[in-house]
Amino acid sequence: MIWRIVCKDMLENILSLRFLLSMLLGIALFVAGSILFLDGYKTQMEDYWKQTNENLSTLRGRSDKLYRLAFCWQEVLRKPRPLAFCAEGFDKSLPSRFRFTMFTKELAGAGGRSNYILPHFSDIDWALIVSMIFSFVALVFTYDSICGEKESGTLRLMLAGAVPRHTLLLGKYLAAMLTVGLSLLVGMLMSLILVLSSRDIAIPATDWLRLLILVLLAILYLSIFVLLGIFVSARVARSANSMVILLLFWVGLVILIPSLGRVISDMSLKGPTQMELQRSLQEAGKQVWDNADQYGERAGSMSSNLSWPGNNPPARARLKTAAIEARNRVLEDHHRRMLAQVFAGRNFTSFSPAVLYERVSEIAAGTGVNHCVSVYRQIGEYQADLNRYIHDVDALDPNSLHLIFDEEGCARGWKAISHNPVDFETVPKFQEREPALGEFTKPAVWDVGLLGLFNAAFFAAAWISFTRYDVR
Amino acid sequence: MIWRIAQREFLLNLMTFKFALGVVVCIVLTAVFVPILARDYQQRLRTYHENVARDEAELRRVRVYRNIRPTLFRPPCVLSVFSEGLEKRIDVSATIELEQVPQMRGAAAQGNPYQAIFPVFDASLIFRIVVSVLALLVAYDAVSGERERGTLKLALSGNVRRYEILLGKLLAGMMVLIVPVTVVFVIALVILLCFPLVQLTGSDWGRIALMYLTSVIFTAAMYNLGLLFSCLAKRSAISLVLGLFLWVLFVVVVPNASVCLASRIRPIEPRTELDEQILAMRKECDRRVWDSMPESSGGSQSDAGDAFGSYYHRKLEGDARKYYSVYYPVHYRLSTECAAKCWEMERQYLAGLAAQKSLAGRLARLSPISVYENTMLRLAGTDEGAWKAFLDAVQEQRGELVGYVRAKTNDFSATTLFTPYTFEQMEHLEREGEDPPLKLDDLPRFIYRAKAVRDLRRAIPDLGLLVFINLLLFALSFVAFLRYDVR
Repeated sequence: MIWRIVCKDMLENILSLRFLLSMLLGIALFVAGSILFLDGYKTQMEDYWKQTNENLSTLRGRSDKLYRLAFCWQEVLRKPRPLAFCAEGFDKSLPSRFRFTMFTKELAGAGGRSNYILPHFSDIDWALIVSMIFSFVALVFTYDSICGEKESGTLRLMLAGAVPRHTLLLGKYLAAMLTVGLSLLVGMLMSLILVLSSRDIAIPATDWLRLLILVLLAILYLSIFVLLGIFVSARVARSANSMVILLLFWVGLVILIPSLGRVISDMSLKGPTQMELQRSLQEAGKQVWDNADQYGERAGSMSSNLSWPGNNPPARARLKTAAIEARNRVLEDHHRRMLAQVFAGRNFTSFSPAVLYERVSEIAAGTGVNHCVSVYRQIGEYQADLNRYIHDVDALDPNSLHLIFDEEGCARGWKAISHNPVDFETVPKFQEREPALGEFTKPAVWDVGLLGLFNAAFFAAAWISFTRYDVR
Repeated sequence: MIWRIAQREFLLNLMTFKFALGVVVCIVLTAVFVPILARDYQQRLRTYHENVARDEAELRRVRVYRNIRPTLFRPPCVLSVFSEGLEKRIDVSATIELEQVPQMRGAAAQGNPYQAIFPVFDASLIFRIVVSVLALLVAYDAVSGERERGTLKLALSGNVRRYEILLGKLLAGMMVLIVPVTVVFVIALVILLCFPLVQLTGSDWGRIALMYLTSVIFTAAMYNLGLLFSCLAKRSAISLVLGLFLWVLFVVVVPNASVCLASRIRPIEPRTELDEQILAMRKECDRRVWDSMPESSGGSQSDAGDAFGSYYHRKLEGDARKYYSVYYPVHYRLSTECAAKCWEMERQYLAGLAAQKSLAGRLARLSPISVYENTMLRLAGTDEGAWKAFLDAVQEQRGELVGYVRAKTNDFSATTLFTPYTFEQMEHLEREGEDPPLKLDDLPRFIYRAKAVRDLRRAIPDLGLLVFINLLLFALSFVAFLRYDVR
């Protein structure tokens, strides 16, 4: 019986004007989004490779002496993700330029081509189309699913037969999901065909799993709106009222609540400013330098001529290491606070399914703030690798003082670090690797769980409302 | 007759569920969020005053002309509560130095760049989203709904002309929709004025009046859009679906797509290239300075800390005197020249950013919602024009300041550029002691005021476009209604 209801409803939906409109709109957006993405991705990749090669040649240029390698400022760009056409996650507005040496790293800055006076926008990616357009389409398909039938008198007829209410409800849900899913999948397929037919982009095998997850997430998210539509439709007697209520729900959940993120993040935690950062850096440095003597006698004074009696190399090394560690701690803390501020804004707005869906899609596509966090962490790991390498190579040089610390003048003048040339092939190079799917599993599981919870809650609400619905 | 139709329609609409719900949502949103936005403005204003005072105090401590390095602050815009625009994205300050141009990198470089993931929230969002959808909901069944109920047939069987009915409906719709628009403005203003630091000038009131007018015109445009679909479709459900699809296109697709397209059509050059060029110019300038310097054979000197974290020479002996009397004039003459060139390049780059932004604005004119947003931004003085005006003001101030120092130091050749004493005075100078600060009473001060007339002039095209959209949509509705089958 349920199958017959599904068939009838689906046929009715497919033959309606709204299906035609949603199909056309969906396909147009998916196609336009993919074309724009391909164009932008090519430029991004060119920029990325240019910067990577420049960075490598800088590193190669400094590998003539080991100590020069240690003080080399490297500059890398965040690697554009091929799956950004699914969930771009404001990639273009987020910091993308990272500078670091073996000892320290700067806070990430804006990418070369970003325009800070443009509105922060999202590309027309799958996540935007699904979260804003298709959620709306789902409501348009369901706003009259129960009350519309009541208005036309068919609901009474149907329930006069031997159809239990839950079968009818399930049938309606499945029919709406299939209709919405049909137009969604057609659009996604077209987008995928366009992307795959391009020569500039290669989707690795592991990304197919991510794609599948993204499609499933879209369906899970849309199911919430289908159930919401049925629920409201089963609460009111007139379909016009149902549309009004649903529209307000939609505006609230999809547009207003996500917009509050900024306000809430500003309110919940005071944003750390650049000025505060500079002040803390100065203070941290001053504290170390004021207590220079605790690192050993004459740690505060230095001449690049090793034979100068005022020099005390081990003490100097301890002092400078303490200073750079203090600086790194302040920067790390500042970075952590900035992230905490943003995550607070997102967490507070996560009672909107749209925010949850966007966040979890970003995780699945490997983009967004998490991408920045991942690169930042990888740079830390790379610094440790480079440090280990320099220690190992330096240990082989009998002429070196084996004091590896952040003062290029000493490394040069005292031979604190070896001056031997190194084989560039053996030097560790920074290469961003894609984080494994499991890396951000914990927040993703939460988000998926909450999306599931929304589904369950609306399903229960729709079921209860419909069992009590007055069909007269 | 028109009036009677309008009255009847007005009463009918006023008592509907959708109207009540819409107004309640508007009131709640305004009452909850305007205080937050106003508090945020107040905070920014306080920071601005603190910064200006700190800078002024530093200026009073300056001892030599080369250390005059004031920072110019842009006062926060009170109307950003209504339309935030670029207010929080563009630089709030610019530091003027003789040998360098101000670094303009956007406010994100000073704040939290990760906040880019959040969309902007301001009072005009309530109009763009809630009031516009309310207008569509009020209008969608104005004609097709009456046909379904059979009342249209009745109304037209009397001695009523079709245009009278349509005009009556427009009038009624406007009377209904003015209510939420007015309510939002009144509540927002009352809340805003409750904040002690908020002060509205005459020009602000004028701007607010124009914003109100723009909001009414915009609401009328959305109502006319709904009316058009109502006159085109026979069933109200279809007119609703059509209207809402177009609305979603206007709200979501056009604003995002326009920015996306603009960044493709008019890509900007990477910032790094400009930075490299500027660096090369600086190095060339330094090289020229060193080339023209005499060999220094030493000479002792004692320095002291000055305002703005810089230092000055207190005592110079031997060759150091000769050295610095040659070095500073050459250095400052060449580096101010170099800075002027760098500033020109920087400005070209910034003009590229502004051009991309205005292209995005032009592309977004496809959607009346974006046209409305643009108009509100200009009226509030938070668009890219206001940003350019700040840049111009900074450049002008820089020019005046360099001119001032040149005049005071006889084109950088006087010793007051780098030391408060003459060489004779240095002979009898105490080892320790407080040095007198410069008298800077005649220093040109920075006063930045947004120019209302200029902003208004920029808002006129978009405002005109909104009026045109209204006329066009109404004319189309009229034609559609004349041919409407009322059966």
